[in-house]
Amino acid sequence: MKIRQSLLSVGATVMACAAAFGAVLLVLWACGYPPLGILHRWLIGAVGNSYYISNSLAETCPLLLTGLAAGIAFRSGVLNIGAQGQFLIGAMVSVGLATRWQVTPAVMPTIVIAVVGGAVGGGLWAVLAGALERWRGVPVVLSTILLNFVAFYLVEIILSGPLQAHGTSAPQSAEIQGRYWLPVLIKFSSLHIGVLLAFCLAALLYVVNRQTVFGFQTLVTGLNPRAAQLAGIPVARQQMTVIFVSGGLAGLGGAFQVLGVTHFLIANFGSYGYAGIAVALLGRLNPLGIAFSALFFGMLDTGALRVEESSLGLPHNIADVVKGTVLLVMLLLLAFINRRRISPTAKVDAAATEGR
Amino acid sequence: MAAGENIVTFLAQQMIAAAVPLVMAGIGELVAELAGVINIGIEGLMLTGCIAAYTAASCGYGSIGLCAGILGAMALAAMFATVAVSGRADQIVCGAAINILAVGASGTAWAVFQNWRQKHDMSVSLPHGAGFHKWPLPFLSRTPFFGPALFDQYTLCYVTILLGILVWWLLRYARLGLIIRSLGDFPEACQAAGIRVRAWRWGAVLFAGGCAGAAGAYLSIMRTHSFAADMTGGQGFVVLALVIFGRWNLFGLTAGCLLFGFINALQQVLQTARYTAHNRLLESLQHIPFQWFQMLPYAAALLALAVMAKNRPGPRALGRAWPPETPGE
Repeated sequence: MKIRQSLLSVGATVMACAAAFGAVLLVLWACGYPPLGILHRWLIGAVGNSYYISNSLAETCPLLLTGLAAGIAFRSGVLNIGAQGQFLIGAMVSVGLATRWQVTPAVMPTIVIAVVGGAVGGGLWAVLAGALERWRGVPVVLSTILLNFVAFYLVEIILSGPLQAHGTSAPQSAEIQGRYWLPVLIKFSSLHIGVLLAFCLAALLYVVNRQTVFGFQTLVTGLNPRAAQLAGIPVARQQMTVIFVSGGLAGLGGAFQVLGVTHFLIANFGSYGYAGIAVALLGRLNPLGIAFSALFFGMLDTGALRVEESSLGLPHNIADVVKGTVLLVMLLLLAFINRRRISPTAKVDAAATEGR
Repeated sequence: MAAGENIVTFLAQQMIAAAVPLVMAGIGELVAELAGVINIGIEGLMLTGCIAAYTAASCGYGSIGLCAGILGAMALAAMFATVAVSGRADQIVCGAAINILAVGASGTAWAVFQNWRQKHDMSVSLPHGAGFHKWPLPFLSRTPFFGPALFDQYTLCYVTILLGILVWWLLRYARLGLIIRSLGDFPEACQAAGIRVRAWRWGAVLFAGGCAGAAGAYLSIMRTHSFAADMTGGQGFVVLALVIFGRWNLFGLTAGCLLFGFINALQQVLQTARYTAHNRLLESLQHIPFQWFQMLPYAAALLALAVMAKNRPGPRALGRAWPPETPGE
């Protein structure tokens, strides 16, 4: 039963990906573009040689971390859609700790402090939303939307104030010195150590979710907060921990991205936070699934760059078209498959009714 | 922008011009949220409106462009409704998917359109007459102070005002408004009264799509006569924030939009040396990093929520799919 269900959901996801890819290529074909040519370039750009593969993996890292951030939060019923803001705050704290607010000149400690600082920064930014919900009754969904913007402008202010690079008037930080960059796994590639750590974190979270009391309790809270409360689970404290961890993961993503890939910061730092929501959903909120879907999204992104470089006249945005379509198709498929047990709560409620 | 115009008039006119798309999209989002559907894909809907309006207007008629903008956004809204209302999927996730899709699709469509334009030797700007121009209302626009600000605007500004009044009246006094509000507050009651919740929510989502499309068309074929990738620049998210800021009330929403428009206009003024040269107040404002002002609406919305939220922020069933669970059939 269980195996059949997980096979079904994996099958649905793969089908959604294939269908979406097919639909997009079909539309392009109708517009007069060669579908096979596009597909070929896309594949080459994603996994064609070691250079492209390492790029894809590097691109996967922020997506994976923001995806895990959204996944762990959604799973326990905390609608944190502020990964974007937490990602930015994490990156900002991290770049600060590696440039102007450096604590020690030693290399390794600086990197570790910058990474941890980024994660804590992102986590605390998320806790702000959690605190607003707990003490002032502001729904997390709403406060995190707003906090994304506050974070954006706050980062711009700091980047044009205390952290601004010398000799520029634009809001951007100084470049981090080469020795404080994240070490790379393979020389001359963009494959930094953060990628490996991100995948390890995904595995760790999988174990935490399945094997620990904490993982079980947060799942119950997500399925039915009232039942969780009655069963003696400290829901409020648990939600706060979850939102801290969630924000911390997003912040960690920002820290890795700035220390490992871009090496300096501007406020327009990509929309990994918003993409994370999509990644989490495609992975069905399961850390292992999220790892695969982040990998898929990362390959889509880098492959599309190659499509853009070719003379076809298509922009890299085409990756976003595929992503959006994949999600919508998968949501539809899920709605279809789960006709009977539509929401996770429905099952619990039905069981409760039967018991009565 | 005539020379010698005074600064207050300029500020007021720019404020309203910037607020129009926000109010327009905001009315739609407000109705959808009151009906219990939160669509964070509104940014994508607006962007779709922009590109659809621009491409269609290239045939030479602005009105066709406007219709295309509205219909294009409605088509995307229909996708959202299929998945989120009929399919009962998570609204937040669907909205995120719509955003990603729209950003990608508009960028791709823009590139495809430009290729096509090159192939057919069309000019790179809109043909003459395809973009809307301002339509100063006779007499009214010459009233001192208020005139230019309120009555020397694009047609859509007046439409927005009328639509706002209509929607306010409907929500407040008509059966229709009562239905919409109960859809979001207490869908069970609608069900019991024989009102088809999902069908009505579909309607609300489509209406919101149309409004967002019109707002997008305003940006591309009225205010700027051009299109650029990602030209909405987060205005859809601003609308989401402003609906919250206004506490799901049309007046609050409008006030928020005007505040936002004002900050936009202020930014323009501060960048214009002509205005800042001899004005002490403006000069002192220039020393504050402008991002503080830009942050203001969001911070204010958060603060407003934090201060007042204890008693029920927003429609009770906001974001919840209907029916809530399937009874064991």
